[in-house]
Amino acid sequence: MEARVIHESLKPAPVIAPGHTFESVTEKINAVVLTKKFGFGWIVGLAIAFMLANLLLLSTAVILIGGVGGFGINAPVGWGFDIVNFVWWIGIGHAGTLISAILLLLNQSWRTSINRFAEAMTLFAVACAGLFPLIHMGRPYFFYWLLPYPNVIALWPQTRSPLVWDVFAVTTYATVSLMFWLVGLIPDIATLRDRTKSTVLKYVYGILSMGWRGSARHWHNYESAYLLLAGLATPLVVSVHTVVSFDFAVGIIPGWHSTIFPPYFVAGAIFSGFAMVLTLIIPVRAYYKMHDFITDRHLDNMAKVMLATGLIVFYGYANEVFYAWYSASKWEQYMMFGNRMQGPYMWFYWALILCNGLVPQILWSKKMRLNVYVLFIVSIIVNIGMWLERFIIVVTSLAQDFLPSSWGMYYPTVWDFGFFIGTIGFFLSLMFLFVRFVPMISVFEVRMLLPESKPKGAAAHE
Amino acid sequence: MADGQKSYLAPDLAASGSRYLIVAAAGAAGLAAGWFINHDQFFLSYLVGYVFWINMALGMLFLLMIQHLTGGAWGVLTRRVLESGARTLPALAVLFVPVIVGMHSLYEWTHADAVAADKILQHKAPYLNTTGFLTRAAVYFVVWGAVALLLAAWSRGQDLTGRPEFTHRMRTLSGPGVVMYGLTVTFMSTDWFMSLEPHWFSTMYPVLFVVGQGLAAFTLTIITVVWLSGRAPLAGVVTQKHLHDLGKLMLAFVLLWAYTNFSQFLITWSGNLREEVPWYLKRTQEGWLAVALILVIFHFALPFVLLLSRKVKQNARLLAGIAAVLLVMRAVDLFWFLRPAVPHGGGEGHHGLSLMTALSTVWIDLSALAAIGGLWMFLFMRGLSKRPLLPVNDPHFEEALAHGRH
Repeated sequence: MEARVIHESLKPAPVIAPGHTFESVTEKINAVVLTKKFGFGWIVGLAIAFMLANLLLLSTAVILIGGVGGFGINAPVGWGFDIVNFVWWIGIGHAGTLISAILLLLNQSWRTSINRFAEAMTLFAVACAGLFPLIHMGRPYFFYWLLPYPNVIALWPQTRSPLVWDVFAVTTYATVSLMFWLVGLIPDIATLRDRTKSTVLKYVYGILSMGWRGSARHWHNYESAYLLLAGLATPLVVSVHTVVSFDFAVGIIPGWHSTIFPPYFVAGAIFSGFAMVLTLIIPVRAYYKMHDFITDRHLDNMAKVMLATGLIVFYGYANEVFYAWYSASKWEQYMMFGNRMQGPYMWFYWALILCNGLVPQILWSKKMRLNVYVLFIVSIIVNIGMWLERFIIVVTSLAQDFLPSSWGMYYPTVWDFGFFIGTIGFFLSLMFLFVRFVPMISVFEVRMLLPESKPKGAAAHE
Repeated sequence: MADGQKSYLAPDLAASGSRYLIVAAAGAAGLAAGWFINHDQFFLSYLVGYVFWINMALGMLFLLMIQHLTGGAWGVLTRRVLESGARTLPALAVLFVPVIVGMHSLYEWTHADAVAADKILQHKAPYLNTTGFLTRAAVYFVVWGAVALLLAAWSRGQDLTGRPEFTHRMRTLSGPGVVMYGLTVTFMSTDWFMSLEPHWFSTMYPVLFVVGQGLAAFTLTIITVVWLSGRAPLAGVVTQKHLHDLGKLMLAFVLLWAYTNFSQFLITWSGNLREEVPWYLKRTQEGWLAVALILVIFHFALPFVLLLSRKVKQNARLLAGIAAVLLVMRAVDLFWFLRPAVPHGGGEGHHGLSLMTALSTVWIDLSALAAIGGLWMFLFMRGLSKRPLLPVNDPHFEEALAHGRH
């Protein structure tokens, strides 16, 4: 059959720059870990991030010594920054799982050069997220009371409470994400083991690679294990944030009790996750000159996912406004038109509409999607917007619910901010260590993208 | 072009399509009988039949735009089926006329005396009124019809000329098209179905329609593709891998259906609020719980378990069989959604219409399904017969055909 000529303008951009070989891919990605010196920018960045992480230690110490009174929470707003930041961080994690699991199942080959990075981000974000409810408990040393373990103190978790489901959802998510990431690393760690010149690192990488020799049997088992893990991780993309949305929606507080919450939370999580991947990957790509592997096509695709999920989120806002009116319920209407739009936190609400609703519309333009500066700024604005969204949901509804006599304002304390900024520092410190000590791009998977890895005569589409 | 390139035209499909006119005629006879025997019931039953088929057409329009946006082999394989389904939308606009005629008997908010006695209906009157309802319906049909016909026309242009601008246009329209689709389906589901129980509201409701439409479209698309793959000119073109992909996507929609419906149920149940929970009370009492359980088993559990298996997804007959079960379940789901809505005598008491009463007039629903469905299938098959069954000039064409061949 005569090959059809595909018009230039219809060809997708490549997912890997032309001219690479197996060797050049391995060299270029592993060089960051094996041979490069610690760059000045990396050291300064890590130092700043680590200083911020110390703020986390300080804030945690203050709260553990003095109790949760050190946070700004009080009646009526009993859920403040802790829950806002918990939801924010856990949402950010979702992009990693989506990229690594769902895009794998959908045969999207462009995912290979960003999945390792995004999965690492997931792990670190989940670690940050977990800290908030733990400290918010007030007595974190009793955290195991949430688990249904055999005990003699007549303790049994309330299984009808989504807060208990949260414990299961988040711990499962953290476990599966960690396994997925570690399993995905094995072949690359083995490469590092074979290539490193340091004896100590040879042992470290040797243990982590779990005896990988790259035999056909290894690869066969590996492929099925990876696919199974992807299948396991896929429902988690949906379930974790669904359970988080139930934390709110099963209550009857106006602004929380909305049936659309589960899918709208999941879309918001993916939205914020992709925004965070872009925020991190754009500078990393520039610093380590990884343009060959993280191409404009990747940024373009991620921007498209961000636009699509952003539209779903924006739809959620509009849907809530319309049905608040349509409900004819005075509580629903007050929540939307009195409280959110004109209440004491109205600036947060309108800033949210600007950040999550209006600004991302710029991504309809391909030119803007391909402009890294625009994309970087939009991604940061979306990160802020998604934080505002959680603030609006958590705080405004609690501050002004059914009974005006019990209304009150929420003012975060310096320790609220310290704890939050501290987790950002902790997160960034881990990211800095990650890019330097682990190949940030999956070497063996990128090698499979090369034309020479395809069987002779087969169509190059896998 | 080269000899190797076959024509994918199948003009004989028009003849098989004509047979559906017999079904349509039988359905129409049933509907006519329904009109005279049970005039009260006629309109709601008609609405059940109508919503099934408009959901099908809209779901196909939705999937058509999604495949333009995402590309992929499944899009090339299903494009013509989806286009043909979406092109029935103008005809469905005409079939909407009986709903307009029956507005007064369907919707409580069209009764001036009911509105005068009900503060909630007064509040909603700026939205729920006859003029608004008709204007919005006109807007929906113009939007849907325009998008469907434009996409079909450009696709034809791509077929005939292979010029890239047609491909670009289809992709460019599909982005805003999906947004328009989401908005119109939101208001359509509110206007036509949610307002049957005008006190009730749920923010998830439009999403349930989007998901139901997508699933309905997938089931019929899979059945059609499997059927076509056994005869000329598509024989030998459809591979196991294609079926596997379609099966995966159908599984995703089955899960989405269960996920969205269960979420709405859980949130409503746990809130247990006076203005929300009657919707479920009506649908779980007086026998309706049995229908709900049938839905749980055959709309979710069974297809879910079966579709998890790769072997099942790659087996054309089994896959089409599961799709057929799901297609029937779509009708059962809509019956469960709409029929308990209006207990005769009005009101929103906890004890609504009993299932047995509903089943005594189910023949009118089935007549409506057959009448509209027969006509719909006739148009659908005629649409398929007029164009090549595969978009030969699509940039993904060869890639899609090679999918699963090595």
